[in-house]
Amino acid sequence: MSTFVEKLRSYRKPGYYDEFDYHWTMTIDLDRCTGCEACVVACQAENNLPIVGEERFAQSREIKWIRIERYWEGEYPNVKMGFIPMLCQQCDDAPCETACPVYATYHNQDGLNTQIYNRCIGTRTCAVYCPYEVRYFNWFTYTWDEPLEQQLNPDVSVREKGVMEKCTFCIQRIRIAKDNAKDDDERRVRDGEVVPACVQSCPTEAMVFGNSKDPGSKVSKMMKNPRGYKVLEELNTSPSIVYLTKAHS
Amino acid sequence: MSISVLDALRPAKKPALLTLVLVIGLFVGAWVHGKYLSDRSPVQPIDFSHTIHTTDNEIPCQHCHIYADTTPVAGVPSVSKCIGCHKSLPDVREGPEILKLAAYWENREPIPWIKVHDVPDFVHFTHKRHIKAGLECQECHGSVETMDRVTRVVTIRMSWCVDCHTEKEVENGRDCWTCHK
Repeated sequence: MSTFVEKLRSYRKPGYYDEFDYHWTMTIDLDRCTGCEACVVACQAENNLPIVGEERFAQSREIKWIRIERYWEGEYPNVKMGFIPMLCQQCDDAPCETACPVYATYHNQDGLNTQIYNRCIGTRTCAVYCPYEVRYFNWFTYTWDEPLEQQLNPDVSVREKGVMEKCTFCIQRIRIAKDNAKDDDERRVRDGEVVPACVQSCPTEAMVFGNSKDPGSKVSKMMKNPRGYKVLEELNTSPSIVYLTKAHS
Repeated sequence: MSISVLDALRPAKKPALLTLVLVIGLFVGAWVHGKYLSDRSPVQPIDFSHTIHTTDNEIPCQHCHIYADTTPVAGVPSVSKCIGCHKSLPDVREGPEILKLAAYWENREPIPWIKVHDVPDFVHFTHKRHIKAGLECQECHGSVETMDRVTRVVTIRMSWCVDCHTEKEVENGRDCWTCHK
């Protein structure tokens, strides 16, 4: 038992996250977000997300790895509406990881909070622990009517009933980029070679994705923006997503 | 008056015979299953022999499985690839298996080969990375070049993959998302 605790502590030792190989990070400029939900649709298509149907949607059983939340600023009549895309924050100190009894969710060497569907036994503890409410549970095994199953992404497995799922930062695209980089004289992945589906589809380029360990990457520069903040930072989850708040004149 | 044990054994004769038949049946069944029904060594639509092609005629693996070193899948050769060679081999053109091949070619149908080495859908496997890492085909597929019908000699399980990744100290080889998807 004591060795187990020691192992856990060494895994959680301070500075562990500085040893990341890559640290995939995203910045979202809320000033640019128009709430068009192109990212939501792109995610749905890329990651084989099921359409749960109207009835189950009403039961709050929809599955959307990224969603647009709406909020209001100011007092009537000077009200402004704002949008904030909410997806898995890939927290460095993720509460969900501590909760899983079978280690189906864990932190990998790239700073990603990952979920292994085969390992998940569906206790849903992680979803309870997640302060951002971005983990989604498969209450049913969803099917795709013909010919829609033809558009499923072969690089992403189709999840079944009883499995928790969440945003992966399009890890399949990261994998392909790494694969190509390895072929090209075993070099590192360059900035801009990995583009998640949501980032790719954003018409206003509100989202920027990249490796924050690379000081020259676009995302590293964006993170230095004084408008930057992290959602629910006071919970010490150290999210990997930096939001740039709306600029006020 | 002599006492014979045979009388005492007589009631056991029937069950004993039955057991014998069952045991023999079990062995025969296991043999038939292994030979003709097992997914380890399925009977293919054409009795294709790797021995003839690879050992006798010294055709390298990647002459037919052309995508092995460039893409995730090694690729099963198309019917046109088979016909391409066999058209110019008059001495074997009349063989019964070659006639089957010719029929597929005439009917413009692909050969419904049965997959022997199948990884589950939730596993990301790429031939390219393994070939480029210097692995020989035989390390996972066994000595296919000596097989008249392809037989799976390994059990494709996670422990088998992880053992090799651990032994060869693959970079991030034990991270779940290296193989799971």
